[in-house]
Amino acid sequence: MLPVEIAQRVLDHALAQGADFADLFVERQQRQSLSTLLDQVDTVQSGLEFGIGVRLVYGDKVLYGYTNQASADVLCKIVSTLAAKDRRDPISTRKAFDYRVAHDLHPARMPLSKDSALQAKIEYLLRADQAARQGQSKITRTMGSVAQREQQVEIFNSEGLHTTDTRHYCRIALSAVAADGSEQATGAENIGALVGWELHQSDDPLRLGEEARRQALINLGAKPCPSGQMPVVIGNGFGGVIFHEACGHLLETTSVAIKASVFHDQMGEMIAHPCVNAVDDGTINNAWGSINIDDEGLQTQRTQLIKDGRLNSFLVDRMGSQQTGFARTGSGRRESYRYAPASRMRNTFIEAGSDSLEDMIASIDRGIFAARMGGGSVQPGTGEFNFAVTEGYYVENGKVQYPVKAATLISTGPKVLKEISMVGTDFALACGMCGSVSGSVPTSVGQPALKVDQILVGGNA
Amino acid sequence: MNLPHFANQVLERVRQAGAEADLIVDEQESLSLKARDGALEEQAISTTRILGLRVIQDERVGIAYSEASDDAALEHLAEQALLNARFNQREAHERIPQNAQTLSTDDQLLCPSSDLDNEARIELALYLERTLANKPQIRNVPYNGVTEQLKHRQVFSTQGLQASSRQRSNALYAYALAAEGELTAMAGKGHAARTGGQLDADKVIHQAHAEAVALLQGKPIPSKRYHVIFEREAQESLFSAFRLCLSGRSAQDGINPWRERVGERVASPILHLADQPLNTDGFGYHLFDAEGTACAETPVIVEGVLQTLLHNSATARHFGTQSTGHAQRGPKSSLSVGAHQLSIAPGQTTQSDLTSGEYLELTALQGTHSGANAISGDFSFGATGYLCRNGERLQPVRGITVAGNYYQMLKQIAAVGDQAHWNWQRSSLMPLLRFADVAISG
Repeated sequence: MLPVEIAQRVLDHALAQGADFADLFVERQQRQSLSTLLDQVDTVQSGLEFGIGVRLVYGDKVLYGYTNQASADVLCKIVSTLAAKDRRDPISTRKAFDYRVAHDLHPARMPLSKDSALQAKIEYLLRADQAARQGQSKITRTMGSVAQREQQVEIFNSEGLHTTDTRHYCRIALSAVAADGSEQATGAENIGALVGWELHQSDDPLRLGEEARRQALINLGAKPCPSGQMPVVIGNGFGGVIFHEACGHLLETTSVAIKASVFHDQMGEMIAHPCVNAVDDGTINNAWGSINIDDEGLQTQRTQLIKDGRLNSFLVDRMGSQQTGFARTGSGRRESYRYAPASRMRNTFIEAGSDSLEDMIASIDRGIFAARMGGGSVQPGTGEFNFAVTEGYYVENGKVQYPVKAATLISTGPKVLKEISMVGTDFALACGMCGSVSGSVPTSVGQPALKVDQILVGGNA
Repeated sequence: MNLPHFANQVLERVRQAGAEADLIVDEQESLSLKARDGALEEQAISTTRILGLRVIQDERVGIAYSEASDDAALEHLAEQALLNARFNQREAHERIPQNAQTLSTDDQLLCPSSDLDNEARIELALYLERTLANKPQIRNVPYNGVTEQLKHRQVFSTQGLQASSRQRSNALYAYALAAEGELTAMAGKGHAARTGGQLDADKVIHQAHAEAVALLQGKPIPSKRYHVIFEREAQESLFSAFRLCLSGRSAQDGINPWRERVGERVASPILHLADQPLNTDGFGYHLFDAEGTACAETPVIVEGVLQTLLHNSATARHFGTQSTGHAQRGPKSSLSVGAHQLSIAPGQTTQSDLTSGEYLELTALQGTHSGANAISGDFSFGATGYLCRNGERLQPVRGITVAGNYYQMLKQIAAVGDQAHWNWQRSSLMPLLRFADVAISG
């Protein structure tokens, strides 16, 4: 995408300013999205994004700039502006580019650049809408969407790296609104993967619609949630957001290097119950959070974060490696050329254990079964997190009693890791978007169902 | 690049295809600085331009955008928008407004010259981090920054609209991590101003330090229903999470719980809510909306009664009313509706009356993006703050949740303070409100 001569000139200019290291991230991304409201198309839009990010490193200091213009003069001007206060005699010279492309672990059969498949996407969403509303007058609205994008990246650095990659993302979602008098409730279901439009072949639109409907109707009849400290069983799949928020962010060197993580000095120590094994894996074929190379050009890998409760690895990008001494893990990611890379999660999950969901629920005298989780957030410095329950049930005497609404779980990462006492067998991954210092990136969360012995449930009962 | 000439070329292509269109061009220059351990850790600069085209052909709308400005990309932009329109449903209400006019904001007011050079700005970033990090009980300042943004929006249409708006904004923020033995607490504060010279670093340092240190001793309180005052940032977060209820677009989509409530009481009679886009003290100032419609003050709730929803020209046509000048559209998005600068009128309650007796002052809410259902009104957030009595903070509180139903809570406003305050990002102007009977879990 960027002529090699331009990359050479810009990186040479950066090193001439005395930078220790410099790299260029070139991105061209095609996007298309469409949405439906009930059985009507609501919006159809598409776009082309293009830009170049240039990073200069002086010691532990990062200077970053970006532009939409693929011009050597513009890029050199950015470099000069960035380096104005740090300019010094050159201390290194650029190595010749060695162009290499990683093996494509995540091929797409129906990429956006080949066919926008608009009619097929519309038909898929209308079938999902039909499934959600068929024979059920309480479903008053459905909102469907398909978002597909194709991101081409090219990375050059002053150490001779020159590589390219193409990433294909596709996501389909349907949400339903149920109403009864003045009461309204919602349900939603989505699928996503690092693939092209062939994603639609992996799941039936009828299932998507029926699942959104099921959740909306359950939430419509839900009672206010009891509150207080109590045991909670967190369902599989997107329930993994608990680990993502409570612990995953605290294992990124973005937080560790600046001692803004409660785990920054606990490598090798027991930080979780011995039944907990956790992984961040960028290599799972076509999974939503997978990559071939990270956004610094390093091949991705599978990283064992916690082994039998003991902290085994952080998620490490280039700057994190320089600042902490830990080896890079292929975790340098960014939303786009508008962000400098940072250590980020990919597909992050707790591995399967040996307990059954039934046994977990049966072990609770008074508590909650959080079958489906929504989003959440964490404060890395203290480990305090919160996340929302989107489908929950009150449990008493070992049995599910009734659905509850408007529940939030809050605790701290270190505490909740030690409160996990049972880990199930029904492992599943689910996709989401994770926002942090380098923007919003696709990540998978995952886990089998697991039991937390005590956590604060916020409700309105 | 001669932008008006270029815009004409794009619009002419659309005209030749028998369609009408408007083109948004957003240009932005930005600078941000972050410090760590007394040295500059990160400096970022950017210059970007995004073009967003909306075409309407045979009552069908198509959207396309591009960050590339070469001839091929522009050809592709028009082609894509027209292609997308062919797959859309007919939408008779959405049209390009007949508003051939030239509009321009006042640069002297909204876009004054930068009064800090790069050296001074770097020194400000270093001072902010260094001074706060050196305060007692502060372990470090992991998140901090000094930023400047210059945003320029231009809107052109096949109907002859040429509108231009430029705004400069500066901001600084810092999150302090306090520690004492095993205890840690973090608190962040910020300040925004038109120019860098107006930024008050010392105020942010003082507030972030005081809050982080106070919260070290924070602990849960017994679960029960309390009177609650949301501090200005928390209150703004709460109102933002439920803005859908003001939108004519969400009403048209059938998901706004207030879609059939215009003229009815939706809140306590002491609540007066308006949108004030022409208040130049705020950063939500708008002379015109995304369709080029002139903005004006819009009373939304008067004495608790819903006066109107917010409309663009399409939702107004759908409901048989007039646009309120609240069209919202980015270059990458379709036409929607949004408030510019929400404002609550000060009430009659003095600060001492507002803070009489026992109440909970919540200074921060966690999870407002995930714990709120704007359709049902149900919410449950993590929260931190203080248990107070008669205006005095008795005990810092953390590790609690606040839960309820927003639409019910608006009817339970017990008092409206007599002083209005901007939130730090200067996007809303509100007095403090006191809510009765709010569920707290600890």
